[in-house]
Formats: sequence, structure tokens, C-alpha cells
Amino acid sequence: MNLNIEAQKQNTYDAIVVGTGISGGWAAKELTQKGLKTLVLERGRDVKHQVDYPTMTKDPWQLPHANKLTEEQLKFYPVQSRTNWVNQANKHWWVNDLENPYTEVKPFDWIRGYHAGGRSIMWGKQTYRLSDLDFDANAKEGIGVDWPIRYKDLAPWYDHVESYIGVSGQMEGIPHLPDGKFLPPMELNCVEEVFRDKLSEKFNGRKVTIGRVAHLTAALPHDPSRGVCQSRNMCDRGCPYGAYFSSNASTLPAAMKTGNMTLRPHSIVHSVIYDEKKGKAIGVRVLDANTKEEIEFYAKIIFLNASTLGSTFILLNSTSPNHPNGLGNSSGQLGHNLMDHQYRTGAEADVEGFDDKYYVGRRPNGIYIPRFRNIGNDKRTDFLRGFGYQGGASRESWSRGVAEMSFGADLKSALENPGPWKIGITGFGECLPYHENKVSINKDKKDIYGLPTLNIDAEWKENEKAMRKDMKASAAEMLEASGFKNVRTYDVADNMGLGIHEMGTARMGKDPKTSVLNKWNQVHDAPNVFVTDGAAMTSSACQNPSLTYMALTARAADYAVSELKKRNL
Amino acid sequence: MNRREVLQRTALALGYAVTGPALLGMLQGCKAAPELTYTPEFFTPEQALLVAELAEVLIPKTTTPGAKDAGVPAFIDGMMKEVYPQVDKDRFVRGLAAFDEEAKKTYGDRFAECKSEEQIALVKKHHEAALANSTGGGSFGWWRAGGGGEKPFILEMKELALLGFFTSQPGATQVLQYNQAPGPYKGCVPVTEVGKAWAT
Repeated sequence: MNLNIEAQKQNTYDAIVVGTGISGGWAAKELTQKGLKTLVLERGRDVKHQVDYPTMTKDPWQLPHANKLTEEQLKFYPVQSRTNWVNQANKHWWVNDLENPYTEVKPFDWIRGYHAGGRSIMWGKQTYRLSDLDFDANAKEGIGVDWPIRYKDLAPWYDHVESYIGVSGQMEGIPHLPDGKFLPPMELNCVEEVFRDKLSEKFNGRKVTIGRVAHLTAALPHDPSRGVCQSRNMCDRGCPYGAYFSSNASTLPAAMKTGNMTLRPHSIVHSVIYDEKKGKAIGVRVLDANTKEEIEFYAKIIFLNASTLGSTFILLNSTSPNHPNGLGNSSGQLGHNLMDHQYRTGAEADVEGFDDKYYVGRRPNGIYIPRFRNIGNDKRTDFLRGFGYQGGASRESWSRGVAEMSFGADLKSALENPGPWKIGITGFGECLPYHENKVSINKDKKDIYGLPTLNIDAEWKENEKAMRKDMKASAAEMLEASGFKNVRTYDVADNMGLGIHEMGTARMGKDPKTSVLNKWNQVHDAPNVFVTDGAAMTSSACQNPSLTYMALTARAADYAVSELKKRNL
Repeated sequence: MNRREVLQRTALALGYAVTGPALLGMLQGCKAAPELTYTPEFFTPEQALLVAELAEVLIPKTTTPGAKDAGVPAFIDGMMKEVYPQVDKDRFVRGLAAFDEEAKKTYGDRFAECKSEEQIALVKKHHEAALANSTGGGSFGWWRAGGGGEKPFILEMKELALLGFFTSQPGATQVLQYNQAPGPYKGCVPVTEVGKAWAT
């Protein structure tokens, strides 16, 4: 008995954070800096900044097979490789699909990274605020449920997060894409400057701005360990300068520095322990990936940051007599309303002139065209919401040589010069929340640990399909009107999931009958459990969502600690 | 009986096997024998010699290094062994055989043993025919994207040679320029200040 009590005491913390990705790192930092003894559970291995980035300084000739995976290696990534981004330099950041199965009721690309830092190591770093155009939309249009928060609730937390992580960008004064706390913007190149000016002229002020990105373009006084971006564009290997934001370079070291964090890798949380008598969660159950041992850990508050579908899986798998369909599922909404962003459609064009202009550096960023559809006087009858574009201009590289008419010495000398300029833009479109787009637990298919898996049953619907047509047509229209030549559209059909912005499935809302989380990201049915990753999203907007996850996390952590102090949790 | 068969019989008669480069050297008489500078793991010695000579015709040594200097033949051998799916491996090997067959038919020698002018003429013929069918422009994947059907052997070969060459240290740093950490991005700089094209 005494032994048990001792063990229980040893496994008890003030807070538990499940997951170390972009939101888990923030939960860890905020909670530990506020003085909470925090256990941070990571299902994969630990990844220490710089130390565990094996390819970070490899030159092209130091990577086998021009960085392409071998047939043998590809066997482990039947899903991850659908991105076309898995290569020799970054292959260690993607899950082994054979060990981590799920069921695609309809095609769904579930792209994951199971290690400390999660996908914050290989994220796109595009960093945009949502606005009240987004927070109001569901209520105005009668779609899904209303967000329980508005821009003013999140604005100070956007400030807080941006100031800490470092975001470079250009102030534009666009109401529906609010400016933030920006470091100096990265430069546009000559052709992008022309596009910016022409687009504004031809489309009544429509904007081209430099991408807002979590790369340092100036030193961060509060974090001297991170350096300024060197334009290597080798970010997905881990940055030796810590120039882009990742949990590994920023929030996890900050949490560690407080002395309040215990980071436990190889710890697969599969369920939350709910105490029926106390009416709240008391801890989590962990399967140790190495020893296969079952361990319980206890805390007053629990933050689920296991990724959108990871957190929802844990809740669905946390069944108890009062919660037979999963914890937080009294509304029946848990697992539903899965969203993503659609992309891979747009246009590209040739650019005449500028042969005497070039650039220096591989800018890990591009241009951004903020949403212009269904705003103000622009009213579409064929779809709701809208899309933004990402893209850029550059000069063709040596790879153009395959299709050149020459070979031999002539080809060699031709390729010593930069090729012609090209410009292209790709749409990123909003996806509506549909109840039918859902995930559920599959007890028949087990992973290598014997845990149940997920069924994913989701698809693009009419609104997305109609929007997609406009994403393509408007891209061509803008390039054409800006004077670029030989405009070509493309539409490479994508499954849901490929946007790697999967979100929803534990949505925030005002009413416990129709939502899983409240306005502080607390599970309605278990208020000491917070879900602050993409699962919380009530609508998807069209902006890259990571910044919003971080801001929601910091806000919820602040609230959780103040409630703890008031003994309300 | 052709020269090759005569030599092979001679070798057998002498009680030792003449293989690979040695055999080719004898076939070529006074002409310097092309030699393999690596041990192929996928190609036969004959195929490997063909690939090496073909790569060098496509990207010759000039005042700067060529395909052989940059290790392109070994790169292609590795791509075939490890990266290409079986169906593409088979197609490439068929392409090699057909190419060599045509060299023999036209010039009486395997490609690797042909005179330099002959090699260039044969590559030129295939290269021009292949590109005449293409939709042109673009980078890797353009052939399939253009709906061009099965990619002609010579273009597959060219793509592999360029990929291996410009990701090699000599190709990236001596023919083009490379800087792992260029520093803050400068978006609009006169070409004359930058110099050669960036390797990446």
C-alpha cells in the first residue's frame, strides 16, 4: 500500500502536456514558466536542437542518390511519400506508415512526425492571424457552430506568441489579415515587385505581400541562442542557426531552463484517466514504447497537444461508464467536422525581360496574396469563404537543360547562366466543417503496440470543389492581367490531409450540447482537460493555422494557471 | 565470325579469360581504351562503359570537369540499383541495348568504341528526334506532364546525367556556383554581380 502511494506520488505533477509539437511546446513553456511542475509526454524519441539534426549541414553531394529515397526506403512511407517531400535529408522526421496504420474509408493523407518537436521541425513556417471575418463566418452563414471567441480575445496572444517566436513580415493594414509584431520583411525579387504593382493597379488594390514567416530576420533580444536566417532553405533538416521557430529550438529549451519540465520520450498516451467520483480527469495512461509497460501519471490539469487527430484519438479512446463514447463526447461531436486546406491548383507563367537581374540566397519563403473573395463588394454565388495564394518568381535552374536542344559543351556553357524567369501561384482554400467528415476508433485494426487505430472518413464537398475552380481561374486571370506570358493553369487533385492542416474534430463552441471545448479550450465534460491543438478549430479559415494553435495554447495556459490558483480546477 | 568472336575464341584458346576493359582495349587496337573508374553494382561492364561514354558526350570535360570527373557513371549505376522501380530499370537497360545495337549497325562498333564524331552524331540524332516530339520547357517531370508517352531513352539518360552532375561537388561548385549559407536574401541583384547560375 505504501509502495503504491509512493509510486503515485512520484508520478504526480502539477500539469501534464501530451505532445511536443508546435502547440505542445507552447503549453510546456507557458506552464513551466508560470511555475507548474510539468510532465511533458512525447510518443516518439527525443530530438535535441542541433545535436539530433544529422543532415543539417550536408551539401548536395553528401546525400546519396541526389537526395532521392531508395525503393527499399520508400516501402516505409506509402502515405508520407504522397507529399513528394520525403527525402534522404529529412526521412527521419516522417512516421513509418507500416508501424502507424490507419484506415482510409475515403482517401486521406495523414502526414505525421512522431518525435520531440513533431512537425514543428518540418513545418512551412507561414504565419498568419485569423480575423473576425473568420471568427464571425459560421454564425453569419449558419455553418457548423459559432466560434466562442472573437479576434479581440486572441489578439493579445497573437502578439505574445509572435514576439516570442519571431515572425518576419510586412505591415499591410489589411483588416481581414491583421498585422502583427513583425521583424523586418524578407525582400521580394524584381519580378515579384512588378507583380505586386501590377496586381494592385489592375485589381483595385489587391495585394501581393511577402510571406509572413517564423524566420528570424533580426536578432531576438530575449533569445540570443537563435540566429538570423542564412537563406539556406534546408529548414526541414533542422536549422543549425535556430533561425526558424520550432519547439526544439525555442519553446522546449525555454521550458527546460525553468527546471520545472520533465520531458519523457517514448511515452504513448492512449487515454485520459477520468475519476467518476471527482467528476474530472486525474491523469493519463501511458504505454512505454520501449518497455511496453503501462504507467499512469497524475496531474491537476492536462493539456492535449498530440496533434489534431492524435488528441481526438486519445479522447475517443478514453472511455468510462459515464463516457462510453469517449471523454468529451456528450455532444456527439467528438471526431466530427474534420477539415483541411485544399491546394495544388493555380497557375504559372513565363516572364519576359529581367535577364540582367538575379538574386542571392535561397529564400525560404514566397509571396502571399491575401483572400479577396466574399469580402466587401465581392460576393460569390457559387461558394462561401475564400482562399489565399502562395507563390513566387525565380529563374530556372540547370534542370531546364533536359529539355534544351543542345547537349555537350554547348549545353554546359548555356547552363552556366541562370535560366529565364518564371512566376507561379498556388491557392490555399478554406474547407467548411461538415459533420459527415469524421474520424472514429477502429478496434479491429491494431498498431504495433496493440492499440486501436483510427478510421478517417472525409472528403472535399461541393463548396470546396466550386471554390477550387475559382482558385485556378483567378490565378490565371491575375498573372495574365499583370502582363506575364504563356499562362498555364494546373490542378493536381489532392486528397484531404495533404494540406497537412488537418483540424477540427474537437471543436470549440458556446454550447456543450453541440461542441467539445469551451472558449478556454476546456473539455466541457472534463474542465481540467484542455485541447489546444488543431482539433479545437471551429472553422478552418484559409490562413496557415499554426500561429492560431500557439495563441490558443498560450491563452488557455494562462487561464488554466489562474483557475488553478483560484482552486477552480 | 566477327572480330569480337575471334578474340573471344583466341582468349579461350590461350587459356585465360579476357573480359571487360581489357577485351575492349584489344578490340580497339591502338585507340586508348575507355576504362571504368568504379565498380558497377547494377550494370554489366559493357553497359557501364556505354553509360560512362554517353554521359561524357552529354556533359564533356571542357575547361571545367565533365561527367566522368564528377562521378556521374557511378551515380547512374546507384540510381538504377537503388532508386528506379523495376519497370524503369528494365526500360533503361533495353534502351542501352538498343542504343549499342544501333552503334554497331551504323559504325560497326559498340558505342564506347566508336570514334568521338560517331558518338556525337548518334547522340545528336536520338536527342533531336526525342525533343521534336516534346512539348518543351519546364523541368523534371515535364515529359510526363506534357503527355509525351514513354520518355525516350536518350532523355532519361540526359536527365540522370544532369542530375548527377549538378548535384556533384565539381558540377555544383566548378561549373555553377554553390553557397550553403548565402546570408540574408537579396532579391534584386545585377547578374554581373552574382556571376554564374546557382547550383541550388
